[in-house]
Amino acid sequence: MALLELEDVRAGYGATSVLHGVSLAVPEGEIVSLLGANGAGKTTTLRSITGGVHWTGDIRFGGRSLRRMHTEDVVRHGIAHVPEGRGILTELTVDENLRLGSHLRRDGAAVRKDYDRVFEYFPVLRERRRLSASTLSGGEQQMLALARAFLMKPRLMLLDEPSLGLAPMIVRAIFEIIRTINAADRVAILLVEQNARLALDVSSEAYVLEVGRVAVSGASSELKGNESVRRSYLGY
Amino acid sequence: MMKRLRTLPPRYWLVLVVVLFFIGLPTVIDSFLSGEWAQALVLAIAIMGLNILVGYSGQLSLGHGAFMALGAYTSAILAHRYKMDYLLTIPIAGLVTGMIGFLFGVPALRLSALYLALATFALAVVTPSLIKRPAELTGGVQGIVLLPPDPPQFARDAFAALTGAPMTSDQWTYYVTLAWTLALFWLAWNLVRHRAGRAMRALRDGEVAASASGINIAGYKTLAFGISALYAGVAGSLFGLGTGFVSPDSFPVGLSIQLLVGTVVGGLASIPGPLLGGIFAYFLPIESNQWVPTQTWIPGQIVSTIEKAGPAVTYGAVLILVMIFAPNGVVGLVTTAYTRMRQRLRGVPDRETGQMPSDHQTV
Amino acid sequence: MQEFSQQVISGIASGGIFASLALALVLIYNAMGLVNFAQGEMAMMATFVAFTLISRGVSYWIAFPLTLAIAFAGGILVQRIVIRPVERAPLLTLVIITLGLATLFNGLAGAIFGYVPRSFPSPFSVETVNILGAFVSYRDLGVIAVSGAVLLLIYLLLQRTTVGLTMRAAAHHPEASRLLGVHVSWMLALGWGLASAVGAVSGIMVAPIILLEPNMMQTIIIYAFAAAVLGGIESPLGAVIGGLIVGVTVNLAGAYLPFVGGDLQLAVALAIIIGVLVLKPNGLFGRPTVRRV
Repeated sequence: MALLELEDVRAGYGATSVLHGVSLAVPEGEIVSLLGANGAGKTTTLRSITGGVHWTGDIRFGGRSLRRMHTEDVVRHGIAHVPEGRGILTELTVDENLRLGSHLRRDGAAVRKDYDRVFEYFPVLRERRRLSASTLSGGEQQMLALARAFLMKPRLMLLDEPSLGLAPMIVRAIFEIIRTINAADRVAILLVEQNARLALDVSSEAYVLEVGRVAVSGASSELKGNESVRRSYLGY
Repeated sequence: MMKRLRTLPPRYWLVLVVVLFFIGLPTVIDSFLSGEWAQALVLAIAIMGLNILVGYSGQLSLGHGAFMALGAYTSAILAHRYKMDYLLTIPIAGLVTGMIGFLFGVPALRLSALYLALATFALAVVTPSLIKRPAELTGGVQGIVLLPPDPPQFARDAFAALTGAPMTSDQWTYYVTLAWTLALFWLAWNLVRHRAGRAMRALRDGEVAASASGINIAGYKTLAFGISALYAGVAGSLFGLGTGFVSPDSFPVGLSIQLLVGTVVGGLASIPGPLLGGIFAYFLPIESNQWVPTQTWIPGQIVSTIEKAGPAVTYGAVLILVMIFAPNGVVGLVTTAYTRMRQRLRGVPDRETGQMPSDHQTV
Repeated sequence: MQEFSQQVISGIASGGIFASLALALVLIYNAMGLVNFAQGEMAMMATFVAFTLISRGVSYWIAFPLTLAIAFAGGILVQRIVIRPVERAPLLTLVIITLGLATLFNGLAGAIFGYVPRSFPSPFSVETVNILGAFVSYRDLGVIAVSGAVLLLIYLLLQRTTVGLTMRAAAHHPEASRLLGVHVSWMLALGWGLASAVGAVSGIMVAPIILLEPNMMQTIIIYAFAAAVLGGIESPLGAVIGGLIVGVTVNLAGAYLPFVGGDLQLAVALAIIIGVLVLKPNGLFGRPTVRRV
């Protein structure tokens, strides 16, 4: 049984239907990419998991169905979702944003150690701790969002386009850290990305969405090697 | 023309029946009750004004009691100090209040709906103190006493011919009030149907979008304020006529709440709504005060506290319940029920083509 | 000069009362974008609760926090029962509902307690003490101290505790907060509870001065509106500073401007409201907001 399972999920906004039966699975501790063109339904898939959009079908996390669960309860079960736009609370400081990541945890000593690691990965966050989160650049906000998600000590992270709008060097740094978090803490990650090459490099499995359905899926190494798949679906 | 009469929608016949009802009312009820109905009509006029502002142009004013006070005192001062014929003072009071309302509308443009509500609420609370101050003009705390007008000869003759009884001044006041009510309701109905009304409704539904479609927002909003104030001014003037007395305590903040209750209960953005709202707002506390003491199972002290506090508790509860369960008021409920009934009788639009099943009657 | 400083201190004491009620308004505005027109009447009800406790023999300094706790619970109840069902309704609907609540509470207080004004005890005597040449009453000092303490506590709660953090997060960024496991709906209820408790403080402080009766807070709420608007309706700090400015200004105007006198002080508050809204709608500490289509 995989950590996260989606079975024939249909979802949409009002009268518009976006997902027409998506099934996928994220095994424990693995990184899985969710790829596809704009409008294919990648973000909607993530939002369904955390209850931000109405869905039918089944979504199971750790064997337990997420149907009818409020967003905050889904999150409390161990899923951290970094949404499109990063969800930074700009009215608050960097430190306050981080604290909102760890505020549900009871293991004080482990929290402190995790803070140390966060500042090790992202030293700029320590420098700007007391500043308003709105003063951060795009790349720094992405780091803050990742750090905050990490502090939640989730079993599964949902990352929506972490590379969007960022300079290549920063993207590389961030993906390194994603890899580290996954390896060191066995955090499973469902990674939505436009940048297919990056995603396939870091993930073990991949699903390609097209118009609300899974068009292709398989091991990332295979998809990477398959030229026709790359050209038709991944654009490179 | 007969054909047009026959194809008039049922709405028009309903209006005719209502008008006839009100014209005939004093002939079947006693004089005191006519006076009360006149007061209900006064509220209806003020509520119509508030409705134009809130329901049609989306600006919430909680201070219409202040405009009523302005109209009432304008008439009272003109009649009492300058010995003007009271009936003449009514349109003057309306125009004066309307102009002041229009001027109010200008700074009001810069306020968000919330701030406007806040500012007008503050105005309503301060109004009694503001009236008391220029005591020479307004009679201060004691107010101004007005002599009830005698019905003119033609009215007396007409009434005597109909009922065989002499017309009292209360009944004459009723007819004056009714005449103004009919005139102002007719005016509102026309306003709403035509360009001004449509513009105002576009405003209410979304200001930025309306502005993008080229409507002169500022103009219509201030116009709505002015018209709305005019109605309240006329209502205030008629209020003075009916009660024979104006004082600062006649216009507490509770009056503005009463107007709001009537607007909401009757139904925002409707023409018949204010009439129902006025009747409701005026008669509810009176009826409950008369009904409650007759209920022998309610102990005596509770009766007296209900009499004192009842209106406030009722108004408050009504406001809350209506806004939660029936935000479109009575008229809204009736319209929804009517529409639903029609749908059931005639079928809903075809899902694929959107066409209604054919029917022969056009409305 | 001595009289002047006395008026100023007296104004600061009134300002503390206005600031407490204004802070309550700001708390709810921050949480929902709504001005709670019933805040004053809720404070009045809480003061009647305090009165009932004290007249049953509970000592003042126990009745005070007990009343705040009851007011807190009452605020949560109001939010859960009346506000939550219509959370997504347009703003004007919510405003009208708060007006309904205000009217309802006013009527209930009248029904239960009657309209005869009652005296309300204050733990501070009206005797004056000589401070640097000015005669200041203990009562004024007491009001300043108590209001100041409450405002400080609220500040500490909001800024230095996790609960305060989650409340602020939920108020400013409800969607993002949900993704962080914050129960936004409960934070809203907490906000109402807190606002109700803070408002109760202003009621308890003012009752000894203007006598306890159902209409007691109707003028105070206007002063609180002026304070909140002046300070910037979203700024807790603004509420405090605004309250102080309004308190001092109104006092000085009443004392030194003959045409204002005692009865037109409220009109001064109205003038402040209109002046600020026309000249600088965001107040001293507020920020301009973007209007969404």
